[in-house]
Amino acid sequence: MVPLSWYLALSAVLFTLGAVGVFLKRNIISMLLCLELMLNAANLAFIAFSSFFGQVEGQLFVFLVMTVAAAEAGVGLAIVIAVFRNRETLDVDESNLLKL
Amino acid sequence: MLAEYLPTLLFLIVATGIGIALILIGNFLGPKRPSPEKLSPYECGFNAFEDARMQFDVRYYLIAILFIVFDLEIAFVYPWALVFRELGVFGLIEMGVFLALLFIGFIYVWKKGALEWE
Amino acid sequence: MTFEQILFILFAGIVVGGAASVLLQRNPLYSAFSLITTFVGLACLYVTLKAQFLGVVQIVVYAGAIMMLFVFVIMLLNIRDEDTAVDPNRFLVYLTIPLGAILLGALLYVVTKVNLAQPTGDEGGTVERIGTNLLTKYLLPFEATSVLILMAVVGALHLAKREKE
Repeated sequence: MVPLSWYLALSAVLFTLGAVGVFLKRNIISMLLCLELMLNAANLAFIAFSSFFGQVEGQLFVFLVMTVAAAEAGVGLAIVIAVFRNRETLDVDESNLLKL
Repeated sequence: MLAEYLPTLLFLIVATGIGIALILIGNFLGPKRPSPEKLSPYECGFNAFEDARMQFDVRYYLIAILFIVFDLEIAFVYPWALVFRELGVFGLIEMGVFLALLFIGFIYVWKKGALEWE
Repeated sequence: MTFEQILFILFAGIVVGGAASVLLQRNPLYSAFSLITTFVGLACLYVTLKAQFLGVVQIVVYAGAIMMLFVFVIMLLNIRDEDTAVDPNRFLVYLTIPLGAILLGALLYVVTKVNLAQPTGDEGGTVERIGTNLLTKYLLPFEATSVLILMAVVGALHLAKREKE
């Protein structure tokens, strides 16, 4: 039997990779991809706990997280398209009109 | 319980193995005599008009958004379909409200003209 | 080492390899395809965790729909590799390594506090159990989900649609 801590450790590694990616990448789309990675790390921890405690709530939560991720990707990418149309770049450092 | 999924695992392993093996065999055994004509993108016999990496139209994105809506809808209908006999009329109304709200989105996309391709 | 542990290591290798590839690729298109590999590995892990339904949903919704959306947008905007090169002068790049190490250390420290080797509950999440819970106990989140999707569709359409000149 695989212990719970293995799954949680994998989830931690995945979350760290996603967080590092958000810091490292300059392209908005790559940052969104790394965001999906972090969401999936959380999902894995949810499902691991749900399975080990024999409760279905964690899986329901993951189901809702997936829906939210779909909505987030849809609106986020639409914003990316709108930004690209106006500024002709995807570099986050260039999108600084609201900076003080 | 997990033993039920052993055939699926074997299927995955065999499929991946065959895929990788075919690529590797083709790479190692196939003769390679490239020429500019061979490496150019093939477009039905005549010279290529433009770069293969051309920009896509934004209308594809709007169609993809609609696809996501119906994809999620089906994902939610699936667990409902298994238990709706026990839930009875109540379950029917619940799913009706859910589908009606998504249908409003579909009508909005339609009326906005995102599906027109002129 | 049992068969299940070998399976876990195999799938975890796929997941971590795909995730590392997401970070290392310069072209966002290759990043997206690496992420699909990660999602497939995660779906396999969900099945080993007795969450078969979510494994399938992971493939259908995540790898199928969401990643398709990403790939469409990448092709729509026609991003070249040079747009995405890492700027060596950015100070955040040097901060990332220690920050990532601290985050990973903190998370792994918490994980070692969990010592649950055996499942305590009875059943995993069959599709029936998910359906019953979703449609009775968690009815409000379920209906709110449809409102969220509706809002996302309206917002995405409004942002992405080209205004008529």
